[in-house]
Amino acid sequence: MYERYHIETSPAKLSSTQIGKFTIIRHEEECLNCGQCISQCIYDVHKRDSNDSRKMAEPVSNLCKNCFSCIQNCPQQALEMVKNKEFEDLGNTYWTPQFIHTIWNEAEEGKIPVYGAGYRGPFKGSGFDKIWTDMSEIVRPTRDGIHGREYIATSVDLGRKLPWIPDFERLNLPNSYEIQIPMLFDTSPLGLNLKSIILAITRAAHQLGTFAFLNIENYFEELKPYLKSIALRCPLDKIKHIDSIPWREVNFIEVVLPEKYLISELEQAIRNLKNQNETALISLGLTGPCLSEEIFKQVQHARVDVLNFYADNYGKSFEGNLFICDALRKLRHDFVKRNMRDEITIIGKGGIAAAEHVPKSIICGADAVVLDLSLLAAMGCQVCKVCQIENCPAELEKLVPETASQRIINMICAWRDQLLEILSAMGIRDVRRLRGELGRAIFYDEIEKESFEFIFFENSLFK
Amino acid sequence: MKSIEIRNCESRFRSKIGKYRVTLTDKCFHCGLCVEICPYGVFERAEGFNFVSMPNSAHCEGPDCIEGPYHCTAKCPVEAIKIEIDPQWKTLGDFRWTPDLIITTWKQAETGEIPQDNLEYKIGASGGGFDNFDFKIDHPNTIPSDEIDKIRTSICLNRRSEGPAIEIPVPWYGAGMSFGSISLSSMLARAASAKAWETFTSTGEGGYPDELIPYSNHVITQIATGLFGVQEETIKRARIIEFKYAQGAKPGLGGHLLGDKNTQAVAKKRETVPWTSLFSPFPFHSVYSVEDHKKHIDWVKTINPEALISVKVSTPSDVDMVAVGSYYAGANIINLDGGYGGTGAAPEIAKKNIAMPIEYAITKVHRFLLDEGVRDEIVLMASGGIRTAYDIAKSIALGADGVIMGTSELVALGCVRCGNCESGRGCPRGIATTDSELEEQIDPSWGAQRIINLYSAWQKQLKLLLYQLGLEDIKELRGRTDLLRSTDEK
Repeated sequence: MYERYHIETSPAKLSSTQIGKFTIIRHEEECLNCGQCISQCIYDVHKRDSNDSRKMAEPVSNLCKNCFSCIQNCPQQALEMVKNKEFEDLGNTYWTPQFIHTIWNEAEEGKIPVYGAGYRGPFKGSGFDKIWTDMSEIVRPTRDGIHGREYIATSVDLGRKLPWIPDFERLNLPNSYEIQIPMLFDTSPLGLNLKSIILAITRAAHQLGTFAFLNIENYFEELKPYLKSIALRCPLDKIKHIDSIPWREVNFIEVVLPEKYLISELEQAIRNLKNQNETALISLGLTGPCLSEEIFKQVQHARVDVLNFYADNYGKSFEGNLFICDALRKLRHDFVKRNMRDEITIIGKGGIAAAEHVPKSIICGADAVVLDLSLLAAMGCQVCKVCQIENCPAELEKLVPETASQRIINMICAWRDQLLEILSAMGIRDVRRLRGELGRAIFYDEIEKESFEFIFFENSLFK
Repeated sequence: MKSIEIRNCESRFRSKIGKYRVTLTDKCFHCGLCVEICPYGVFERAEGFNFVSMPNSAHCEGPDCIEGPYHCTAKCPVEAIKIEIDPQWKTLGDFRWTPDLIITTWKQAETGEIPQDNLEYKIGASGGGFDNFDFKIDHPNTIPSDEIDKIRTSICLNRRSEGPAIEIPVPWYGAGMSFGSISLSSMLARAASAKAWETFTSTGEGGYPDELIPYSNHVITQIATGLFGVQEETIKRARIIEFKYAQGAKPGLGGHLLGDKNTQAVAKKRETVPWTSLFSPFPFHSVYSVEDHKKHIDWVKTINPEALISVKVSTPSDVDMVAVGSYYAGANIINLDGGYGGTGAAPEIAKKNIAMPIEYAITKVHRFLLDEGVRDEIVLMASGGIRTAYDIAKSIALGADGVIMGTSELVALGCVRCGNCESGRGCPRGIATTDSELEEQIDPSWGAQRIINLYSAWQKQLKLLLYQLGLEDIKELRGRTDLLRSTDEK
């Protein structure tokens, strides 16, 4: 029977993520304890002291929604709102406090962030923030606003496709696996190799019907039930003992390319892998600068199924320091030029920090993306400037895997729903059709030039 | 046009938020010198009192004081006055609506005058679009009083040869905000100010409350995809009917009124069940082509042959085609609603990412209509992220005939842009709510005066700007991109 893909969310609260944007300060020397603020606040920030009802209790700042009503109505000007330093200190310039906070909320409830009033951010930014996605004013009757969203497909196929079928008599199609969301997971974000984190991420991947990348040295017994959802990752020069259990049972193996290697060495390794496990997809992990010509040769000769393009946590790739979406565009372009784009799956990893980065990466040419640090943030990570697991404010070491998996599942549900919003605005019913649709995006540099070149022709941007 | 009464209209809150915080420390012995020397009335001593009252910090101009920076702190015999940037000021606003823009909009709503202090009232801090350019005026000057009356700011809302000619004295009217998304008292305030200024306001898609009937000559009614409260008599009542295809803040997604805000009264008006969530789907399922669109317009024209038709669309990359299609379908006004526009509730992902900002869309559509040779038969109204008088002027210089203002009217009513319009009982400040208790915070006549004042301040700025640019009529400004320059070039 046809079963509709559905993600089961359930609230999963963490005490470490209850950090509000603002702090309400009550100056005790001025406060008359008149209680005016109680009647002004509809969010229960202000309450009377439970021990002594003549006094006001300290304001509960993280319930505050920044409406200023109590402040502007206090007869004594005894209340004050200031920015919460703890919030401002979250993350860094790329993983902004806003991104982290949004992920926390998504992970807690599994809901799309919805607010009133218009957009508040800068007009444009760098990287993903240079792209707007398109919409369709009049669309065909195949979809129906909110109710039609259930029929939009978010699944993608991983694997190689034949350009044509050479021999119908001996039909030998390459393996491919369908994942229900265009997102794969990495179990070692920030290079952390904690068992609890690995387990939480792998379980979430298993439940969601996608793959989680696992470094081979991190494999442990408890992961056995989830082998079919594991993408085993190993550097080319460390591939050995490939007849052991994980190697034989998984459906996805990634060979990470070192900076220097021989093609024959790679071909040999892939042949060996295929001998041990003929159903697994073989992926090439491109972590360094990737010379396109070489890659094309390998894709053709070694019969690789997937290319995984690595960028760092800030989205910077090692390919000419390009930002991940620009690098994906380049890679896509090179494959399209050779009429080979459909013969390979391209995925990208690094710098995917918000729901909108998923469709934007896909528009730039990826089939799917790999999430890393965002999964950690879902588990409560504050993306500190220096990661010291022993002083972790989110206490990741003491993580309860059940809560952690649920939080990842919640976040993915929210991200998938937001992907559906983007797709439905465009009138697209299948995320596979979004891949490489550069015409359905609006790029800042292009439109700025098109619209304002005649105004600012002296401006440096257009010189 | 009859004269409009500008009256000082104070904030409805006990204390105002300003940029500076003034405190009197314990050293103060209440000599009262500061009360005498402060030009802004920051310090007061109530009659019969020995003590100087708590300072009115919001009036303080800080280092920009006309008497010289920190003039009071220096003169105070015991150095008891402390002036600093109010940390609260930093918590207000955002990139698009900076604290300065919010506070100056409040001030304009209060006084009806161009802000005279040193806060930035023209431009935001978003680093792009409107905030990236200004007008080529190298020697700003003031406008001689006999020149003021010569400068015209009116625009006509029908440029076709058939149909009624409707002229509004200012190049803007109020945006669609439904009953349900905002309170009835806010709607009444907006309608009364539209009537005073002889311009328009719009009911949005939540039906046409009877309380607005006295203002019906200045009320646009909307037909949106949900068709909430659309009745023959409401269509007959309006001089302008607006088809809402999409909204800039949630392009291609449709609307959603959460159950908590759908009270008995709202549900009655919308002809729905109270306390249920209401979806306004996307798109119009009866419109899949220009021909279908024309059929819709014909249907309205059959009911009300005298009405002008406005079409509200958001800004996809083919917005130029949509605009020209609307023209051929018979629309009088095309309303482009840009991606950064306001809303009562929308997914954050949509506001930030879907569809282009209005600045690009105006340019694109204006040029396309020019090339098509129909530019002078249709009125191009822009909305979505237009905040100040200068944004209005910039939109027109880019090619719009006029603009539609929404959020700034709400700011005049006391909005701080906290963004909680959608949750629970709605707006804690009584604007975007349907909660009877919260709604009481707004007195419609007070609200009307605030918006009237804001309009007046905007018109003064437009007139001054036109004078400085050497123009006499706002219509001459349309498409004059040569008068714009990048802010980097200054």
